[in-house]
Amino acid sequence: MEMIDRYIYAVIQRLPEGQREDIRKELRGLIEDMLEERLESGQPSAGDVEQVLLQLGSPARMAAKYRGRERYLIGPAYFDSYLSTLKVVIAATLLAMTVVFAIEIVVDKEPVVDQFAQYLVSLFTTAGQAFFWVTAGFALYEYSVHSKEGSPAAAQPEWSPRDLPPVPSQRERIKLSEPVAGIFFTIIFTVVFLFGSELIGVYLRHGEDSPLQLVSFISPGALDRFLPFIAILGALGVLKEIWKIIVRRRTAGLFAYHVIYSLLGLGFAAIMLQTPGFWNPDFLIQVQSTGLVTSGEALETIGTIWDTVTDNLIYFILIITLADIAAEGYKWWNIRKQR
Amino acid sequence: MADVQETIQGILSELRRGTIIIGVLSQLAEAQYGYSLVTVLEEKGIAVDPGTLYPLLRRLEKQELLSSSWDTNEARPRKYYQLTSFGCEVYEGLCREWRALTASMKHIIGDEGG
Repeated sequence: MEMIDRYIYAVIQRLPEGQREDIRKELRGLIEDMLEERLESGQPSAGDVEQVLLQLGSPARMAAKYRGRERYLIGPAYFDSYLSTLKVVIAATLLAMTVVFAIEIVVDKEPVVDQFAQYLVSLFTTAGQAFFWVTAGFALYEYSVHSKEGSPAAAQPEWSPRDLPPVPSQRERIKLSEPVAGIFFTIIFTVVFLFGSELIGVYLRHGEDSPLQLVSFISPGALDRFLPFIAILGALGVLKEIWKIIVRRRTAGLFAYHVIYSLLGLGFAAIMLQTPGFWNPDFLIQVQSTGLVTSGEALETIGTIWDTVTDNLIYFILIITLADIAAEGYKWWNIRKQR
Repeated sequence: MADVQETIQGILSELRRGTIIIGVLSQLAEAQYGYSLVTVLEEKGIAVDPGTLYPLLRRLEKQELLSSSWDTNEARPRKYYQLTSFGCEVYEGLCREWRALTASMKHIIGDEGG
């Protein structure tokens, strides 16, 4: 008899709270009725109970029938997109972390064991984060699609064949390689800025035997308070590429997202670059101290280049961003014109 | 090569799914509990799996075709289901459609079939 309790519990714990008590009573009545019919009189044996429960089917299937539909975190419709996105994201994260680690080993003076331990820890946390965000993103999408389906018919706009999007032209289609590369570079960029911004710089070696010396462009710790924004920007960038993987065509929504995202990145870069003390203030002194550049004239030239680049980088980024938006806009406009 | 019997059974179970609803509605002019309904339908040659029927009864109740009440007077509490007036109307409509459907099918496959 205890087996019946176990069976009923296994069914109702998969169902909404409000229906459990009712279904529990009903199922118990049903099982007792079925047992009664099996044997005209007397106590049912464990074997009888087993036979009846087998006839009813597994608790998971039984609960699914009560629910009326299968439930998925990520349903079959998007599972393939989910898997390919997850693979790219995890692979890019691991690669980027490994690259940062490899450079740190060469440059830093800390014991390799310590660095390796740090590397392993951040590998797991970052891969975990990546896994979480991709899964959460797809689950949310799945949920929004389902809640639309579940709403009463009146709330749904009437479907019309006229609304069918045209078969995308060659130009309109987004090849899978584009978002995959996009995710890859977004993640590498984000990881480098999150974990190794001090590693961006020039690497100098004075003679064959001396160690490789790093002169950073960005002053240490300058990015610390921007880290959350960098992470968010990275996540939004990956989200954009995931959207591309799902729709696989250039749409107005995607273009709008791209423009907003680019402007957001541009604004963020402007704020960051304007922050006093962003650039390594000791850059020239550190270059000099490597002993590689000795002549005053050469040092002066380097100083001029350094000043020009740091002063004007934001304009360079501005031009690149605008050119990119214009190029995307041109592609999108061309597609619109074809219709 | 797929087994003929197996394929037939697969398609047949799809066909039965809708007819079970009509079968259930036909028997519920008077209140009955789930298992008695299984027995009655079986006697009339319509086999229903209780694991399918019980969730179906709840669904029909949710669609307001059936109403339910618990009878706790007997040895074991039982949930009785009965057609609502809305359910009655739907059932009659379904019967009309069913007759039209069988007539059309008869026309297509003939009396002998095949």
